[in-house]
Amino acid sequence: MDIMEMLASALRMTMPILITGIGAIYSERSGVTNIGLEGMMLTGAFWGAYGSLHGGPEVGVIWAIGMAMLMALVHAFVTVTYGVDQIVSGVAINILAYGLARFFSIALYGMATTSPHVESLPHIDIPVLANIEFFRPLAAGVSPIILLGLALVFVTYWVLERTVFGLRLKAVGENPLAADTLGVKVQWYRYGGVLISGAFAGLAGAYLAIEHTGMYVEGMTQGKGFIALAAMIFGNWKPFGTLTAAFLFGFAEAFSLRVVQNKIIPYQFIKMLPYLLTLFVLAGVVRKTQPPAAVGIPYSREEK
Amino acid sequence: MNKKTKILWLQILTPLAAVLFAMIVSSFLMLAIDKNPLEVYATMVEFSFSRMDSMAAILFNATPLIFSGLSVAVGFRLGLFNIGVEGQYFMGAFCAALVGFSFTNLPMFIHLPLAIVAAMAGGMLWSAIAIYLKLKRGVHEVISTIMLNYIAYSLIHYLVADVFMDQNQNIPEGLGSPLIRTAKIAESALMPKLHGLMGLFGVELPSYVYVNWFFLLAIALAVGIYYLIQRTPFGFEIRAVGQNPGAAEASGIKPAGVYLRGFLLSGAIAGLVGLSHLLCFYGFMDLDFPKSLGFNGIAVALMGNNNPLGIVLSALLFGFLSRGAEGIQTFLGVPMESVVIMQGIIILSVVVAANILGRYIRIWEKKEA
Repeated sequence: MDIMEMLASALRMTMPILITGIGAIYSERSGVTNIGLEGMMLTGAFWGAYGSLHGGPEVGVIWAIGMAMLMALVHAFVTVTYGVDQIVSGVAINILAYGLARFFSIALYGMATTSPHVESLPHIDIPVLANIEFFRPLAAGVSPIILLGLALVFVTYWVLERTVFGLRLKAVGENPLAADTLGVKVQWYRYGGVLISGAFAGLAGAYLAIEHTGMYVEGMTQGKGFIALAAMIFGNWKPFGTLTAAFLFGFAEAFSLRVVQNKIIPYQFIKMLPYLLTLFVLAGVVRKTQPPAAVGIPYSREEK
Repeated sequence: MNKKTKILWLQILTPLAAVLFAMIVSSFLMLAIDKNPLEVYATMVEFSFSRMDSMAAILFNATPLIFSGLSVAVGFRLGLFNIGVEGQYFMGAFCAALVGFSFTNLPMFIHLPLAIVAAMAGGMLWSAIAIYLKLKRGVHEVISTIMLNYIAYSLIHYLVADVFMDQNQNIPEGLGSPLIRTAKIAESALMPKLHGLMGLFGVELPSYVYVNWFFLLAIALAVGIYYLIQRTPFGFEIRAVGQNPGAAEASGIKPAGVYLRGFLLSGAIAGLVGLSHLLCFYGFMDLDFPKSLGFNGIAVALMGNNNPLGIVLSALLFGFLSRGAEGIQTFLGVPMESVVIMQGIIILSVVVAANILGRYIRIWEKKEA
């Protein structure tokens, strides 16, 4: 098989994991675990296809981001304002998103599982590279969301390391009490972190529906939200680490699609790979991880 | 009314208020598709309680949820979040199926209990990985169990499709292809339905309902867990560690040991979740084996305030909701999914309401002090 084609396929598989994983960094670094990302991605995929059907792919992307952020707002409201267990809320968001997608699919399309076919965004040829035969599979007809996703890795690195917002966001996730004493609005930053993670998950969903498949299909996220979370952990809560992990997982997926035909390794085992690797990393077999100190713990002024 | 009874009443009323709130929110969805919410709720109630088959279906729906609610609740009481019930019941169900179709000439009184024990062992084994990783390697159980759920899905997919797929299916010449499923479980490992017992009370159940003895087993287990947690030394340790591991340790309880035994217990109960479906309804394991029963158990446990009696009641409520969903889809053309949405909203509103109640009680106690 052609190595460039393989790489291009891996890159396409990487995208939803990468974008959602990068988004998860904002939420986790602010101290809020977001296992509702799976549901938010599904929401993005559904409304992305809907928007695309009625106003073109650009409108679809906006719908996807907006609706996923609405789900994120529920998560933020429940966990940040009311200090409810973040895992419970995430589980509820996932159930809710699944139910809503099916409900609206029936209400809008008359069937529970798919939307009509939708148009994709105009694809881009990368200058120079697209003209060299060897690089063509990778550089010609690239989805703009792929380029955006890669750019977001750099942007996120810059935001977290170089901006006031990023530094405060991290402070809130490490030691909310200290941040609060210094006048940083803890709740405000946590809302911000969760909403950004929702926006990213929505974009990833839009990518799946509009760019990857060309329609909404029930259950099309296939646990990618959880893999994204795994990629973020694997990447030690950092943007470039997450990129590496997401690409590793995307490559494994692209590879698994090819071995289905060869039957060398049962493809179910390749599907397990991201989860197994993440367990090994967490268990310290590969290296030590360092989660934000206050992640998962609700913060409330009155009880400190 | 004294303070304790007042708090008790508030604790009972809070989940009910949350259900009411979820109903109100869901009403907007029904209005959006031009259905009258009052008519929808009336149909749900009428369809569920006016027919014997619906009543039986509610009990059948509630059976796995009681097991998974209890499993999650044991974890919660320990202060651990077993989000891995999902994977544990898949492993448990597969182990039971393996025992069920591997032996063909065992008497029922050995074969069926053996299958049940195998299921508990399977669930326990899968939970053992998570608790080992937590105690020895410091991996948070939420993350490890999420990963283990997906590993279990894939592993079972592999075992059912590639290793144990039944090659001897009778397919009429030229018609269809073999189903991707295991061999059929021997008759001696199948759980009898409740028809005989109900017949003694003069209740005739239609043959197409599948409520079975696992329902009574679930009720018995709920009683057993209540007794275990409230009345035994181990139950005391679970409550002590769950409320304050530091204080428990200071008073001579080793939290690690309690975490280990408690989590394994949670896993063993989780192993039972899929059995009512497997050993009565399907009779084999296939790729469409019902998912999400573990996640719904989280909702059931929360709704029931982690109390075994509350869990039985909330499992019955969820059983009623999904039966009612079939009713409104058939008679009114309202998508069943409106009930899934309602479940999601119920979870969120229950936890928010519990949080508000908690604050209220604390402020109240401060005032009195």
